[in-house]
Formats: sequence, C-alpha cells, structure tokens
Amino acid sequence: MSIDMTMERMRAINDRYLMFHAMAESVDTDAGFTFSAKDNLTSKDMETCAGSKILIGYKPVFDATSIARMREEGGFLMGKTNMDEFGFGTFSTNSGLEVPRNPHDVERACGGSSGGSACAAAVFEDHVSLGVSTGGSICCPASFCGVYGMAPTYGRVSRYGLIDYGNSLDKIGILSAKAGDLRRYINVMAGKDPKDPTSCVQPELKNEERSMKSVAVPKEGIEGLSKDVESAFNNALEDLKRMGIDVEYVDMPSLRFAMPAYYVLATSEASTNLARYVGMRYGQQEGDLSLKFDDYFSSFRSEYFGDEAKRRILLGTYTRMAGFRDRYYAKALQVRKVVIDDYKRILADHDAVLAPTMPFTAPRFDDISKMSALDSYKADYLTIPANIAGTPHMSVPCGYGSDGMPIGMQFVADHWDENVLFTMAEDWEKEFDLRRPEVTI
Amino acid sequence: MDRETVERVARAAHIKLTEAELEAYSRDLNEILSYFELLDEAPGCDDYGVNPIDVCDVLRDDEPRMEIDPDLLLKDMNTYEGYVRGPRLS
Repeated sequence: MSIDMTMERMRAINDRYLMFHAMAESVDTDAGFTFSAKDNLTSKDMETCAGSKILIGYKPVFDATSIARMREEGGFLMGKTNMDEFGFGTFSTNSGLEVPRNPHDVERACGGSSGGSACAAAVFEDHVSLGVSTGGSICCPASFCGVYGMAPTYGRVSRYGLIDYGNSLDKIGILSAKAGDLRRYINVMAGKDPKDPTSCVQPELKNEERSMKSVAVPKEGIEGLSKDVESAFNNALEDLKRMGIDVEYVDMPSLRFAMPAYYVLATSEASTNLARYVGMRYGQQEGDLSLKFDDYFSSFRSEYFGDEAKRRILLGTYTRMAGFRDRYYAKALQVRKVVIDDYKRILADHDAVLAPTMPFTAPRFDDISKMSALDSYKADYLTIPANIAGTPHMSVPCGYGSDGMPIGMQFVADHWDENVLFTMAEDWEKEFDLRRPEVTI
Repeated sequence: MDRETVERVARAAHIKLTEAELEAYSRDLNEILSYFELLDEAPGCDDYGVNPIDVCDVLRDDEPRMEIDPDLLLKDMNTYEGYVRGPRLS
C-alpha cells in the first residue's frame, strides 16, 4: 500500500480542523498505514506537550511503547493530536495550545480529551488514531465525531511513555472510522511490557469471532438524555434486537456514585503527577533562577498551568490532605470496588452493559464557555463508570441528531473480554450507515 | 472550603493565585465538594485496592544497563557544566 497524502494537503486540512499540534516533516509514502497519536504519548521525532504550555519545547528521546509498536507494524506517524491539557476535560477546549474543531460542524467541539484524535480518525481516509482514556476520553470524542473508539482493559496496552494523568485510570486505545481497525490495532499495541508492570498480568488477547447475544441497559444510564440521543438510542436498541441480541433493562445503583468517586481519584492522582512540572529538566525552563526554591516553582507553575489544571491540582491536593483522606480518597476507592462488583454481577448474565455514550451531541463552543466546571464534570456520567472499573468499553456511532451531529452508544464488557466488543463493532458496521464528514480540501 | 483553606491548599501545591482566581476557585471548589457529599451515601466495602485489576511486581535481573544515553537527556535541559540548573535552596 502507498500513502496517498501530501504535506500540503495535510497542512491545509489541519488549518481547518486543528487536529494536530505537531506534524511529521514529510510523508512516508511507502509506509503500510498512517496513524496519529494523542499528544500525551511521547514520540522521539515530534514535540510532545500534552496540551500544556508548561511542556512547550519538550522533545522526548524515546517513543511510547504504543507508538513504537505501531511504527514496528509499518505505521507512519502523521502527527500528534490536540487535547485538553493533560487530559483534563470533556471538550478539548481546556487546552493551552490549539482547540480542535468538529469535522461535522467546525463551530462545535470534538469532545475530549482525545478530541484531535477523533477528528483525525473522522477526516482522514484509512487512518487510525491513538487516544488515551482516563474518564471517557476516547468514547466521548468518538461519539461526538462519529467514529468507532475503544479503550481496552486497564493494563492491556503498556502505559510506558504516557504522560500520566491518573495512573490507576489511564488506558491507551484506538479511534477509527473503520470497525475492523479496533481489533487490528489493539492487537498491535497489546501485550506485556516490562516497562509497565501493570501490563504484565494480562491474559492473552482472544481473537476468534464471538458474537454478542445479550446486552443489559442500566435504567440509571438512560436518565437525563437529550431527545435526539434518546431517540437514536431507542432506534439502535431495535436494530440490535433485529440482529438477534437480547436487550434487558437492569438496575445498576452504583452508577450515581461513580462520578464523584472518579473525580476524587483522578484529581488525587493528577495532583501528585503534576508535582514534577517545576521548570526544570524538560519543557519550559525559563524561570528566574535567582528566586528561592519555593518561589521559583510556584511562579513557574502559576504562569504555565491552565485554569482547569490548577482547579484539579487544588481539588486533588485538598482531598488527600490529613483529615479528609478517609472521607474522600478511601471512600472513592471503595466505590470503585462496588462499581466493579456491580458490573461483574450484570455481566455474569450478559455480554455487555449498554447505554448512550454521551447525554447530548457535540455542543457549540459558545455554549461550552457558559458551563461551570461542575457542569462539565457531570457531562461525563455515562463514560466514567467503565473507566473507574478498568473494564473495556467501546463507542460505536448509532445515529444522528436533528442538528446533524453524530450520536454514539457505549458497550462495556468484562475485564479482558475485548473480543466480544471487536465482534460487535464488526457486526454493527454491516448494519449502520456511517456518515463521513465532507472534506473538500 | 473557605478562602483561607484554598490559599493553604494552593501553597501546598506550589500554585500562586491572584485575587480573582482565589474568588473563582473558592466558588468552584465549594460547588464541586458539595456534590461530592454524595459519596457519604455510597455503600462501602473492605476488600478494595488502588488499581481496578490485580497487579503484581515485576522484577528484572540486577544488572547494570543504560537504555537512554544521558547526553541525549541533557541535550534539551538547562544545564551548567553537565549539571541541571535549578533555583537556590535558601
């Protein structure tokens, strides 16, 4: 296969949609396939900033394992995709750098935090993009941009070379307009890597076709939906029934506790991870060295961290402080276990748990600017439970709203059972008429 | 979470806040923490861990090795005679 792409066209497309923060210097037309990667995965030939001003100028000397394995498979890394700063967001608007535009309507967000990846997957032909999910950062943008997106089981893909957000939550996965790419490229990236011990307990990834027989729809997962999402989801359920899949409504009471538990865990972990950014060793290093130790760090961090990064650092620092730790952090860990147990209970009788991916279609940028921080956090309530549980999950396009914007539904399977999701995506693709955005460049 | 607490947390996190930021974060964090009170109603359990799956330690042989050339790492760092430059300690 030869790559039918020129740098001129790549730049023109990027000028319109802003999916890339950094791009390759030339096109490798002999590569086997093209891919892009979220900019929190280190790449040795491109600047890596994770959407943050504090990392401008950081040129890693090594590839993340996921990128290295894609290159070994013959992939050409086209670019590094824009994202919310360190993954802190639902719309990719919390970026210190560029904000990607939805290819179905450039006045709307791509979703977050792997927004640039979803945009690239939707726009480029025969292209796959690596995303990273902590609380829904693959499925949300996949839903908003109308592509397939999968976050595998926590630990399935090595996190070596990933700029950490929440170590117990981060998962590297795939976004593509083609369902078959999920199986193909998760297989490329999966497997044990001694550089990430959490990847070393995984059982072998199964690949024989395993069709889905039944799904459970939690009643708590179909509350608070927009009319468009509700309608598209109900139509999709009818399609699933026609495909011979049983649909059963179930109770999953733990879902309402997952969102606060997630934000406690994620911000606790993030606030410790971000302690390393002090204006030394990498990225921005141009602070006033005549300042005292504490003043130097504080000045530097205050200048270069964005608004949401500061908010999450403050929140995570607070919930870990003496006197509050048991109330917040320890309780959040318990809730995670309760959510996992709830999934296991339901998945003992069903192949997957199913709900819409997001409660609404991609919002306009001017509407996002009116949302409070808590409003944004609440928008993640459907994607968070699977992420806190570390279970594999996948968003597939399932309809379009009255505004023409894509709508997705999210399947959640048991730990290490990606195979049933791969097969579901492949079966669904035969039934669903995917609309690609019109790219006239 | 009052203003003084926000200031104390910010100092611990090495973040300097302007007056406007103090005001805004106090308001936001109060709203968020009020929502987190939902956790008080959540069921608990004893058998919880810090990861969503069981993980195990992975050990390698205790043999010296160098995977990344230190000179490469130093290339983009702010250095002086091979040392990373930082602020003074006092």
